[in-house]
Amino acid sequence: MTYDLIIIGSGPAGYVGAIKAGQRGLKTLVIDKKYIGGMCLNWGCIPTKSILESAKTYQKVLHAADFGVTGIKAEEIAFDWQQAVTRTRKIVAKLSRGIEFLWKKNGVEFLRAEAKIISPTQVEADKRVFETKNILIATGSRPAPRDDFPDALSLEDLYSLPVLPEKPLLVGRGANLVELAQFFQMIGKAPIILADDLPLMPALDASLEDFMLKKMSKAKIPLIPVIDAQIKDKSVSYKDKDYPFDMVINAGFRSAVLPQMEPQLKLEDGFIATDRRHMSSTDGIYAAGDVNGKGYLAHVASAQALEVIDSIMGVDLPDEERRYPLNIYTDPELAQIGMTEAQIKAQGIDYQVKQYSMSANGKALTEGSSEGFIRIIHETKYNQVLGVQMVSANATDLISEAGILMELEGSTYELARTIHAHPTVSEIYMDAGGMDG
Amino acid sequence: MRYIFKFPDIGEGLDEGKIIEWYVEKGQSIQSGDALVKMETDKVVTDIPSPKSGVISARYGSIGDSIKVGSALVEIDIEGVEAKDAQDINQEEPAKAVTESVDEEGFGGVVGTIELAGDGAYLPAGDEGISSPNEPKARKKALATPVARAMAKDLGIDINQVVGTGPAGRVTKKDIESHRPPAPQRSVGSIETPRQRTEPLSQIRKTIAKNMLRSKQNTAHMAIMEEVEVSTLIEARSRLNEALKHDQIKLSYLPFIIQAIARALKKHPVLNAELDMENERIIYKDYINLGIAMDTDDGLVVPVIHDADKKSLTDLAHEIKSLADKARERKLTLDDLKDGTFSITSYGSIGGYFAVPVIAYPQVAIFGIGRIAQKPVVKDGEIVIGNIMPISMSVDHRIVDGAEVSRFVNDVLSYLKDPILLLA
Ligand SMILES: Cc1cc2nc3c(=O)[nH]c(=O)nc-3n(C[C@H](O)[C@H](O)[C@H](O)COP(=O)(O)OP(=O)(O)OC[C@H]3O[C@@H](n4cnc5c(N)ncnc54)[C@H](O)[C@@H]3O)c2cc1C
Repeated sequence: MTYDLIIIGSGPAGYVGAIKAGQRGLKTLVIDKKYIGGMCLNWGCIPTKSILESAKTYQKVLHAADFGVTGIKAEEIAFDWQQAVTRTRKIVAKLSRGIEFLWKKNGVEFLRAEAKIISPTQVEADKRVFETKNILIATGSRPAPRDDFPDALSLEDLYSLPVLPEKPLLVGRGANLVELAQFFQMIGKAPIILADDLPLMPALDASLEDFMLKKMSKAKIPLIPVIDAQIKDKSVSYKDKDYPFDMVINAGFRSAVLPQMEPQLKLEDGFIATDRRHMSSTDGIYAAGDVNGKGYLAHVASAQALEVIDSIMGVDLPDEERRYPLNIYTDPELAQIGMTEAQIKAQGIDYQVKQYSMSANGKALTEGSSEGFIRIIHETKYNQVLGVQMVSANATDLISEAGILMELEGSTYELARTIHAHPTVSEIYMDAGGMDG
Repeated sequence: MRYIFKFPDIGEGLDEGKIIEWYVEKGQSIQSGDALVKMETDKVVTDIPSPKSGVISARYGSIGDSIKVGSALVEIDIEGVEAKDAQDINQEEPAKAVTESVDEEGFGGVVGTIELAGDGAYLPAGDEGISSPNEPKARKKALATPVARAMAKDLGIDINQVVGTGPAGRVTKKDIESHRPPAPQRSVGSIETPRQRTEPLSQIRKTIAKNMLRSKQNTAHMAIMEEVEVSTLIEARSRLNEALKHDQIKLSYLPFIIQAIARALKKHPVLNAELDMENERIIYKDYINLGIAMDTDDGLVVPVIHDADKKSLTDLAHEIKSLADKARERKLTLDDLKDGTFSITSYGSIGGYFAVPVIAYPQVAIFGIGRIAQKPVVKDGEIVIGNIMPISMSVDHRIVDGAEVSRFVNDVLSYLKDPILLLA
């Protein structure tokens, strides 16, 4: 028996691709050596958001008295890490059952085993050889192991810790690191960031990075560039000051997880090189998600996998790359879509920034989270919106309004004209869109 | 599985056609190859065959509607085809679909391509455009993005005339940009002055321009010119015409030239071939289909005389006349224009001795006939009046070398010099 498609890896690329393949009538087998849902579901997107929500709730309760909720004794409020993990596990289990259900419904088969590509049409797993017409590699990525901290804890291992460290040293760069630092800080720990480089979040607009760095500095989270640091056994010294730590967590940039494969596929910086259709250097072998190095986000992985299925079905893909939101689930949340100001400037486009502060937003004030702003960047001829950045509670959801607007090539006029309900945080779009100039 | 069949590019460069007649109804079963619709373009009236068997699940456009190339014509539910098989279909012919060469243009020869099955025929996973890929007529107000609207207004473009390529045919900024002719002030400054004017290119002119350039860019043109004394031919022709007086047909020189060339091609098959660079091979054609360049009011067309080697002089004369009539009345069908293997242009009928005609790529050569004129020639050591026919031939030097071309020309000319040899 020959499969139409074997997918290696069941993360956001693998499982979403499998469902669509099933719906398109392709005979599909998914092989994963670990858990259904991959990094994203089991250790990444979902668990981190779950523990961050626990931390945000902890903070809210600490400040409950401000909202008129009394009777809670501050000294009795505690953060129960094990309970936070248990809650996380329940969410993960529910979501992974959902995936299994959708696979079954669409005739997708699943095998738990390590997969090895032995030819462009053969995959070996569980001591068996499976024949297939197409292969989708969706094996994801992990932080590159570090020479300076070879024993650093990985993000996956965090959830197995019985007790959290008091002074974790977070080494690396990127969104995961920032979220984690804030998580520790919110629950009363004293994280230290040892940054591989600055900006910490290079894909973000400078306005968002600036906001977050200020916020962390106010929260007294030390930010130490690794080149200026001296690393000793259990402390880092920087500018004549010692920062002791009790655990190191590796939140560094990511490197591809490659399956064993024959033929050897062409790599670029260690990631599988792919074309617009996400086809590797060998016909019929595709790579989607983190493993191709085009983006390190779950929704990007899923979108790519859908394009792979389109490709297999013979659909031509549009030339242009897709636009996607970039979200950081801190408190307040950071979100952006489209081009950053620097990118717009570099293209020589005449542009204008409409910036509006959250502090004038009624709903944000009632929720006690009036920190933040929205920035809408548009070109000046038709006022077409080219990029949006925002900082607010739930910015990661609110950014979708900008996503649709940009997908439809909208301008600030549509934002200003659309009646937004009052009071909502989303009113900020209307307010900013209607600004003069 | 649903398959969207888009109006294929019949004769490259023509970007729309008018529906003359529908042959199929919604719900009707069809076989691949069955005619779906009769379309009229600037150049031809032709039946568009279905690339797949199945059941028509939707039809786009009514009689008289203009359909842009690339817009959906019909949707076909492919019977019993699971997506898997459909995938196979696609893998055999990646992206390209079935293409056939069609000769279609003039003097230098212009070549078009018909795409029988448009690409992108499967619905994308995103299900975009599933609802109405093409109903420009049915919808009064075009679906368009806000910025596209603002831009169209700004540039004075009627947005309802713009073909949308976005989801469900939505007109996007890019569509407006590509719809508008390049902004004059940007490219050449203001070009409308009292001493010059501009006129948009007609479809045919665009086709000619594109194909001429394609030929020049893809071949290594080489030309050869020669003269031949045709007094015997002239006499043979007038005697034959005398004999055919009552047959309502008059032979021109063309049937003789066609026969001469067809015979010579048999001896020199490389001139009746095609270079397949991609696969590093030459494709020899076992049939001789001669394209004849014809001047019409609309522009030049090159209808094809199929199996020219098997036709008598009078057959050829009838066929030339019928093709010329059709060309004039714009009634040439796609079949009349396709599958040429070699072309002939009689530029001399208007004027000119020598020329360097452009090959109808991917053919190998084009043979041009100049104006016959009386000239002094030396015969048996004396100067006498001769009848000289100049000829010019362009060949693709990639495929064939000069020596072989000269041998071919010698053969053709020997028939023209002494047409009795055609009887052999
Ligand atoms: C802490 C953290 C937080 C994150 N938060 C977010 C977020 O909020 N939003 C967001 O968009 N992205 C987030 N990401 C990124 C996101 O997790 C990844 O972009 C996403 O998981 C990539 O999906 P994938 O399908 O490419 O690979 P993965 O999800 O990594 O899945 C790969 C799968 O392949 C399997 N596999 C590997 N090799 C083999 C083999 N040889 N045989 C069989 N199976 C194999 C693995 O077991 C794994 O299950 C986060 C990442 C981390 C680490």
